[in-house]
Amino acid sequence: MTDPTRTRDQDIVFDNVSKFYGEVLGVNRVHLTIPPGITSLVGPNGSGKTTIMNLVTGLLHPSQGNVTILGLRPDQPEQLFRHVGYCTQYDSFPRGFTGHEFLYSYLRVHGYDHPTATTMTQRSLERVGLSQAANRRIAAYSKGMRQRVKLAQAVCHGPSVLVLDEPLNGLDPMAREEMITVFRELATEGKHVIISSHILHEVDFISGQVILLNEGYVVAEGNIRNVRSEMEEHPLQILVRCDRPAALASRVFEQDGVVEARIDKDLDGLLIKTRDANSFYLAFNRIVLDNDFKIQVVAPADEDVDAVYQYLISGRKDEA
Amino acid sequence: MAVYERNYRRYTGDLTAEFDRILVFPRYAYEQILRSRLFQRFMTLCLVWSFVLACLLYIPHNLGFIKAFQLDPEVVSRTFANFFTAKWFFNWFMLPAGFMAMILTFVVGPVLVTSDIRNNGLALYFSRPVTRSEYVLGKSLVLIILLSVITWIPGLLLFGFQSYLEGLDWMKDNYRVAVGIFVGCWIWILVLSLISLALSAYVKWKPAARLSLFLIFFVAGGMASVINLMLRTDWGSVINITDMMHVIWASLFGIEPLTTTPLWVAFLSPLLFCGVCLVLLARKLRPYEIVR
Repeated sequence: MTDPTRTRDQDIVFDNVSKFYGEVLGVNRVHLTIPPGITSLVGPNGSGKTTIMNLVTGLLHPSQGNVTILGLRPDQPEQLFRHVGYCTQYDSFPRGFTGHEFLYSYLRVHGYDHPTATTMTQRSLERVGLSQAANRRIAAYSKGMRQRVKLAQAVCHGPSVLVLDEPLNGLDPMAREEMITVFRELATEGKHVIISSHILHEVDFISGQVILLNEGYVVAEGNIRNVRSEMEEHPLQILVRCDRPAALASRVFEQDGVVEARIDKDLDGLLIKTRDANSFYLAFNRIVLDNDFKIQVVAPADEDVDAVYQYLISGRKDEA
Repeated sequence: MAVYERNYRRYTGDLTAEFDRILVFPRYAYEQILRSRLFQRFMTLCLVWSFVLACLLYIPHNLGFIKAFQLDPEVVSRTFANFFTAKWFFNWFMLPAGFMAMILTFVVGPVLVTSDIRNNGLALYFSRPVTRSEYVLGKSLVLIILLSVITWIPGLLLFGFQSYLEGLDWMKDNYRVAVGIFVGCWIWILVLSLISLALSAYVKWKPAARLSLFLIFFVAGGMASVINLMLRTDWGSVINITDMMHVIWASLFGIEPLTTTPLWVAFLSPLLFCGVCLVLLARKLRPYEIVR
């Protein structure tokens, strides 16, 4: 994930970070550099996702190692929280507050005067599509609206790092789509958007970068395709749909690195497993041209977060 | 590689003063508290009591009133010359004010932190530029301001009123009353605020928190007497916070206390209570409860 042109002051950096809750391991020996854009934290329950988020927001302090957020240490709340916005997974709203009051009060805690806080509140509610409901009590909001007002309170003070703990939980597909659009807008503004989620296909859809966690350890991090290509023990699966799958299977099977070529009736095509995807694609082009195959689809079948999760986390659990 | 454009601009204007931000905590708490009719009535009663005392101070100086009752102004003046002393202020203002402050704490205190902990709201507070001490101060201010309104503020107003009526000499002779009211009330307010905050942080059910407060203030008194009797010591009194406050106030007003507890033991008691409460708050007020 590291871009050599970037400095540590522009990123979120975990330097050999461990967090123990007494004898219980939260996370262990984490080295991470999180650049701007959307980064998803993925892992089973208890894998350390929320611990990582709490370390970024300074709500927990590492037992060992250092965390810096845009060059700031989490034990400097006055500076840090000008740059960090946090959306918890819990619905915790002061009783009787309207959406406007909820945001406005937190902005006053941030130190903005009345006119500035009012403007920022309105702008933030507008951004998440809650302007119409601003003066309604949060208790009367739907689940989707409550998620949106939580996102609004996280972004209202214009932070450059957003930590969103399961922000898509409980949302219907339309609301999810709207929230994802907001995340993308924030990411294109150059903000660090860190999201934790259990919904793997959405993680794939939302984020360029993932951090896979299991039992307190980072098992993989980076662009999901790069992570997948480095998993040599699991050959990459490529789905090909063409006019003569049996003939194509016999040709590709002659190539080095191809370990399996199977005609899959469920997928309506040929499923090829290769250990060297780049060489395979080069050879595949030649085979197709030489033999005049009519190709309809060539697509990686297991180059997504779901597959990587299965191989790195579920698979290991099964083996154990 | 993705290209990220930093096209937003951070707020670069002035920020409000730090204390202003802390005042946000009580402001929103008051919105809730002031809605309660029980609270409104009780506050009115507290303020009416101060008004009654002000009337008592004023009556001997109102010629029309004295004449209406066909009394001799000189006799009245002589009678009341040494009436409004430190002892009068202690018995008629300080003790009722202290009791009313305790009752108000029973009403308001138990809800202060409970809801934030129960709803996992602490993470939201602590992901702002707010430290734990500022949070405690902000929440304490809810009680500090309310209790001030019914204790030392009307107390000093009464003292000022009496000084105005009697003249500078009375004020000089009785300056201990003002000191006693101010210092005594502040010690009591701090003790009440910290105990109720600590209980509110640990006891999540409001009635249980109120009951715990009651136990601390009343049952501890009984326990203190038992300890003193059984062990033939004065040290048991340390846990009887109400009696100890009585001793402190009496010393501040320069009058004889009801018990023989040494003054330093009396001062140790609120210190001990405040210290324990601060430790408890420091342990409990974390954005995430760490369950081992």
